[in-house]
Amino acid sequence: MRLPRFEYVRPQALEEALSVLAQSGSRAKILAGGTDLLVNMKQRTVCPEVLVSIKTLSELLMVSSDAQGFTAIGSGANLTDLAANAGIAEKFPAFIQAVRAIASKHIRNMACIGGNVCLDTRCWYYNQSKLWRDARERCHRTGGSVCHAIKGAARCHAINSSDTAPVLVALDAKISVMKKGENRLIPARQFYCDDGIRNTILEPSAIVTAIHLPDGNGAGRSAFIKLSMRRGIDFALCSIAARANINGAGVTDVRLVLGSIASMPIVLEKAAQVIMEAGLTQSAIEKAGEVARTELGIITNLFTSAGYKRQLAGVLVKQALNELKGKTAKRGGAKA
Amino acid sequence: MAKKAGHYTVVGTRQPRLDGALKASGRAEFTDDVVLPGMLRGKIVRSPIPSGKILNIDTSKAERLPGVRAVITYKDTNGLMSGSDKFLLCENMVHFFGDEVAAVAAVDEDTALEAAELIAVDYEPLPPLLSMEEAMAAQAPALHDFMTDNIADEVTMSFGDPDQAFAESDYIREDEFSVQPTHSAFSEHHIVLADFSLPDRLTVWTPIQSSAIIKSSMASNLGLTDSSVRIVNLHTGGAFCGRGGDKPHHYIAALLSRKAGRPVKIMCTADEEFLVYRGGGKYKFKLRTGVKKDGTLMVMDADLVHDCGAYMETQFILLRFVGSNMQALYKMNASRYLGKLIYTNNPPYFFHHGAGLVAMRFAIDSQLNLIAGELGIDPVDFRFKNAVEKGYITPAKFTYASCGLKECITKAARKAGWKKKYGKLPAYRGIGIGCGMLRSGGKGMYDHDNSSVFIKLEEAGKAALFTGLPDMGQGSHTTMAIIAAETLGIRIEDIKVVAGDTDVTPYDVGAISQRGTFTTGNATINAALDAKRQLAKTAAEKFGVKPAVIIFQDRKVYPKGSPEKAVSFEDIVYATLHSDEGRYVMGRGFYNPPSGQSDMSKYEANTALAYSFGAQIAEVEVDPETGMVKLLRMTVAHDVGRAINVLGVEGQLDGQVFSGMGQTLFEECVMEGGQVLNPSLLDYKLPRPFEVPEIERIIVETSDPYGPFGAKEVGQGPIQCTSQAIANAVSNAIGVPIKELPITPERVLKAIREKAG
Ligand SMILES: Cc1cc2nc3c(=O)[nH]c(=O)nc-3n(C[C@H](O)[C@H](O)[C@H](O)COP(=O)(O)OP(=O)(O)OC[C@H]3O[C@@H](n4cnc5c(N)ncnc54)[C@H](O)[C@@H]3O)c2cc1C
Ligand code: SF4
Repeated sequence: MRLPRFEYVRPQALEEALSVLAQSGSRAKILAGGTDLLVNMKQRTVCPEVLVSIKTLSELLMVSSDAQGFTAIGSGANLTDLAANAGIAEKFPAFIQAVRAIASKHIRNMACIGGNVCLDTRCWYYNQSKLWRDARERCHRTGGSVCHAIKGAARCHAINSSDTAPVLVALDAKISVMKKGENRLIPARQFYCDDGIRNTILEPSAIVTAIHLPDGNGAGRSAFIKLSMRRGIDFALCSIAARANINGAGVTDVRLVLGSIASMPIVLEKAAQVIMEAGLTQSAIEKAGEVARTELGIITNLFTSAGYKRQLAGVLVKQALNELKGKTAKRGGAKA
Repeated sequence: MAKKAGHYTVVGTRQPRLDGALKASGRAEFTDDVVLPGMLRGKIVRSPIPSGKILNIDTSKAERLPGVRAVITYKDTNGLMSGSDKFLLCENMVHFFGDEVAAVAAVDEDTALEAAELIAVDYEPLPPLLSMEEAMAAQAPALHDFMTDNIADEVTMSFGDPDQAFAESDYIREDEFSVQPTHSAFSEHHIVLADFSLPDRLTVWTPIQSSAIIKSSMASNLGLTDSSVRIVNLHTGGAFCGRGGDKPHHYIAALLSRKAGRPVKIMCTADEEFLVYRGGGKYKFKLRTGVKKDGTLMVMDADLVHDCGAYMETQFILLRFVGSNMQALYKMNASRYLGKLIYTNNPPYFFHHGAGLVAMRFAIDSQLNLIAGELGIDPVDFRFKNAVEKGYITPAKFTYASCGLKECITKAARKAGWKKKYGKLPAYRGIGIGCGMLRSGGKGMYDHDNSSVFIKLEEAGKAALFTGLPDMGQGSHTTMAIIAAETLGIRIEDIKVVAGDTDVTPYDVGAISQRGTFTTGNATINAALDAKRQLAKTAAEKFGVKPAVIIFQDRKVYPKGSPEKAVSFEDIVYATLHSDEGRYVMGRGFYNPPSGQSDMSKYEANTALAYSFGAQIAEVEVDPETGMVKLLRMTVAHDVGRAINVLGVEGQLDGQVFSGMGQTLFEECVMEGGQVLNPSLLDYKLPRPFEVPEIERIIVETSDPYGPFGAKEVGQGPIQCTSQAIANAVSNAIGVPIKELPITPERVLKAIREKAG
């Protein structure tokens, strides 16, 4: 498929990129690795007039530890490099597992972590060629007032399929967002919105410059599991990121976050509560899996039924908790 | 060719593919690599609705766009048809989402795309018929105005006395099976480059399974003589039965080229791939089978309804093929078959992996397992008991001159450890067997099945082999080189294969119906023998003996019984080419199997001379919580007659297991509203190499009396066993019959749930 026409800008410095974005407003799009954006442009779901390439900005390539106990990873970090970064893998195994589960080796060679964090949402109607979409009525997202994926839905429920998003939420990561004259550090949980059309708080002129992962406290354990039909080049049917502090039998700070099932990562409060009350016992784990299925809200069917996704969510909760407990769980993870 | 295995020097060795290094290093030339001076790019305007009337087509804006060189609509086609029921470009009706309505050619692809978008077509949508049930309903309107209903084709076949056989059966079982639509997902997209800038000369570069079919069809449809059309078939990126002959894009490129006076290339984009070719459509089988208490198979009665989509294409062949092959694998007294092709407003379907047989074998072998279960007979024993054998003549008169089915079953069962595993595996582990067969070439497509080959000898003792048989990745050019080298007594390095240009290469029906090794292989032997005769004359003069006693072996030539007198092959070739008369050596060989012609009233004939057989045993593990199935191990036994290239046979076995696993566990065109919901390689879940199971290969050699060196086929034969082996294994693992393909996790989970109640 062919790209539509656009103007290509490659700023030499972050400041310049912010200026260009400030001037162009919503006419511009940030181009990182382009592995998502360019496909969407070929399908004409987005047709920006200006592409601002940020992949080579040196300000976005830094990986550093700061005094507040965070490890900052520049948004321009390449996924293949990250996947091979032993230091980060040791500190944040779940995060690196998620990075390694993204797409395929070839795509990771091109893609950046910022692009994955800001990944557009998807649905089976929207992510098609223009000819294909034209065969159906326009939906909430394409200028109409229906939803094809969930009949009768009042808003867009396209799915956030980013593999790292649930991990960032589970780990309480912060996302640093810059626009001209402003620099904010936003908790990951507040960065994502439950809206298929505008699924992050980002304004068009803002750039994600880095993600900040809190260094662990020794008792923390984390897990990431992705279920997909095949190993590699596949979005998750459902994924989970989990974290807990384990001190003997005591389990605190349990966080269970599902990905690829709604427009934003879903934090399972009740299921986590079950574990914090009862610990990681087998019966509590079973119960958490059951409870999780009840707190999911609307689920978009992307080639599988909502009921099946609900089932997978419960299974993943159990697998993740078992993994936190120290058992080896079966991985649907993709290494390609 | 009476030699026994092991007496050959090249046949039966392990030869890497001739095109392997070229492809791996990116040097192999495909159609898209061909760029001609002044070449234009074409784009096709397609229907955005599954059914409707065309009210108006306005091309004026597109024609005014700078860079546009030609625009065509129905008016430019002179009523040209593509197939029996389809206008090349729609006149006043569109019948599927993607139907070809107009086309443009412009100086580059972006301009062509822009122009295509400027063509304004007004449609009046009509309610589409999206399922076979809707299309067959009594009140359903006929989709095509030349029809009164939507039954595109209907065939009944009956062999023996089915009623009597059912009456004599102790046990009768009826089941329904369905197979969802699939896609071939060629690595090389549909592409054509056509040069029709001179009125009496059409050259078409395109990947194709049969240059012969497309050449004669295009010539007759465009009013040209056969020799005015030249088809160039470079390397081909996959076919899987789906590139048999001419398709609309070939004609559209030709008409655009004629109108613009320039060559035109059309390459389908990734999303168009799911519009121009859809693989197999939906199949529904209703199967009734009668057996004796002791497991003797008596009779089968099958009703097939098959969604052919909006146009029939060649699916009428499929319909007959399924009926006549139904009783070809297991012995039975009688059979009855009713096959129907149903028009719907889904995209037109096409052959995929052996023209419907994969679906049919899945249904039959799955039901046989259910019957075996109820009779308390081991599925392996059940198959062995009923398996066809050498010398057997099927009710449709297929005659088996060689047959290794029983050997395949026994060897596969032994290697897979069947006895140790069947019924003894832990929960959610399962084992299953599937068998299959396929003919090697034969008549039916035409009243002949011709292949011809030239072998030209060159000074350094090398040979150039000219063939019209395409190599789509199955390795047939390497196979031909081996056969030629063996026959000429030289080595494979001495052979170069020249293929795929109908101005240069001799006639060949092509790589369809598993005919390459068998038919073109026989022609290759004949061409090599002819070349040898010409050389033998020189050698005979030199040694003062009769030509008949000259031996060619391992690059040496000598009179029989006197190997010490040997001179090199190269010297003999040189001496011939530089003889006083300047004798030029060109071996010419042809072969048309003396098989029968199908009688269209009774469908009885031995249309092929050779048939291959196979058995596969799958071992799976099912995750009862997610429904995901992991294919752990496949044991594959295939009767290839003779393995000409052991490495090539292994590659085909592995490839077929891989494709078969995809079709069985992963691949489905999810249809809604006449559209494929997952029209991309991201969402159409082709497996990747990571999913390949452990494969145990068993090559069974039955040395077919008609085959070149005894060889039959290893084309789409092995995949005829795969689906049912996996399905039976899954069924064994979860204790629920599997009656629908593909076996997606969701379907597995549903089955487990229903069993639990
Ligand atoms: C075949 C295929 C399979 C895939 N599989 C997966 C998968 O399994 N898991 C998965 O998570 N993803 C998958 N993807 C999506 C995508 O490749 C990855 O998410 C990738 O990490 C995106 O990064 P990128 O640098 O290429 O982003 P781009 O395509 O360049 O950008 C993506 C979006 O983010 C915006 N953006 C990028 N950087 C910034 C920034 N610094 N600040 C603000 N906005 C920014 C862009 O404007 C754009 O909207 C797949 C894609 C393909 C084509
Ligand atoms: S989820 Fe519904 S509204 Fe959103 S893009 Fe898909 S069809 Fe449109």
